[in-house]
Amino acid sequence: MFSVLKSVFLGFVRTSSQPDVLQNNMKVLSAGLRTYEVPPDFSDVVLPEKPKLKFLEKVPNLKQAKKEMKKLRDIQGPAKSATTFTKGQYGIVALGGGYLHWGHMEMMRLTINRRIDPSTTFALWRFRAPHKPITRKGLGQRMGGGKGAIDHYVTPVKCGRLVVEVGGRVELGEVEAVLTEVAKKLPFPAKVVSRESLAALHQEQAERETNNQNPWTFQRVARANMLGIRKVLSPFDVHNHGRYAGKFFYPKRV
Amino acid sequence: MAATLCGRLLPKAGWLPLTQSVRHGSKAVTRHRKPVHFLKQKLLAVTEYIPPIPAAPPGALVRRVRKTEEESTLAVLLRKDLETLFKECKMIAVVQNNAINAEDLLQLKHKLKRHNISIKFFPNQVTRSFLNNSIYSNMLPLFVGQTVIFVSKEPKVKEMLQALRRSPQMVLLGACIENTLLSYQGILNYSKLPSMTTIQGELVGGLTMMTSQTVSMLRHHPAHLSALLQQYVKQQGSGDATNAITNKDASTVQEAAA
Repeated sequence: MFSVLKSVFLGFVRTSSQPDVLQNNMKVLSAGLRTYEVPPDFSDVVLPEKPKLKFLEKVPNLKQAKKEMKKLRDIQGPAKSATTFTKGQYGIVALGGGYLHWGHMEMMRLTINRRIDPSTTFALWRFRAPHKPITRKGLGQRMGGGKGAIDHYVTPVKCGRLVVEVGGRVELGEVEAVLTEVAKKLPFPAKVVSRESLAALHQEQAERETNNQNPWTFQRVARANMLGIRKVLSPFDVHNHGRYAGKFFYPKRV
Repeated sequence: MAATLCGRLLPKAGWLPLTQSVRHGSKAVTRHRKPVHFLKQKLLAVTEYIPPIPAAPPGALVRRVRKTEEESTLAVLLRKDLETLFKECKMIAVVQNNAINAEDLLQLKHKLKRHNISIKFFPNQVTRSFLNNSIYSNMLPLFVGQTVIFVSKEPKVKEMLQALRRSPQMVLLGACIENTLLSYQGILNYSKLPSMTTIQGELVGGLTMMTSQTVSMLRHHPAHLSALLQQYVKQQGSGDATNAITNKDASTVQEAAA
């Protein structure tokens, strides 16, 4: 009878001979509570009536088609127009110059129209239908005998121009796959951007310019014509800061 | 090229170079990357971007502060549930759940439900935050890893242990029974305790043991008692104290006999 009371009270104090489960040296793994992020609010997004990319004509509707000079300066240098977003959230930006012809446009139109959901997403072109005539001479022709006949039409695209915009009640992850597929097939290097990422790119470039530790910059040397370097530079290099050469773009240059 | 040289008059606003080369290579815009003049290459090499060197590595200056996240409303709700549980239930056992089957869990739940013991699942984060701010803070080391709590209003330890014997995946870690923390051994001992009435009876018996023994001894035949006392005297040895005792006992014996 006393023994019963003894065992009950001493049982608290005495450590058991059997090894306790918690006395081993274990790593503490604390699992947290799963909390979910609030999904984005798309209440202010307006979808247009025709959400898909419209068909672009291969040939412009002209009575008299005039042959045009090559004018490769429409590929050269940075873009002045269509560099920012208008209605959409995500898009493809060109990182080099080039000509888009009807084949590229059809590819873009078909891929994007097939893959987007018209009830939640919309897409729009950021360039004109092909308007610049490209001439070709027939096969095996010798030099001379006048300019060739108009073969096809193209649109020139400069570096930094938005090619296509996508928007609606979607997040980047849903749209990114389609846009990267399309961007790889374009004749110039292109990148999928959103509004925030494009602003971030510009911001990063501005920061690089300000915190550059190199006291010698391309712009400084070219403007002052140090060492007569303008003999080997083009007038465009002076105001492009050496970032553009022909149709190519060097984003790393400051 | 000759045509351009003998072209129109130099416009006043623009600027044309004084010399233009007659030889022409490719145009300015080409499909391929044009070979860059060596001097321009040198210029590009000299004017490359140099990033700023931080005085200390990025991790050195920042204080390592633990992120204090705001508790979600779900966590607050769960914590309230835990509070009510701890208030109402007398028995709270912490059991480690080593990947029990759904089927086995159902059977265990059924067995325990019969004795009004319920199995509760709470995230460790919530339980730890609750225990930190309560009197049960010593239970914190129990809630590590996959744990489950068995709660019941009445401390039915024996039935719980029997049910747990059938499921080897559930390992009993500890319990808080009637505001007392018990380890595994403690729980086993607790289960072996007899019921309240028996303990009370035993306690009363223990307290009145002395008196009851004397009563029983006195009730016996006095010869037995006197023999015991003589034996006691012999053991004590001679002296005045012993004489006094024998006198006293003799008088009590006489009273009892009367």
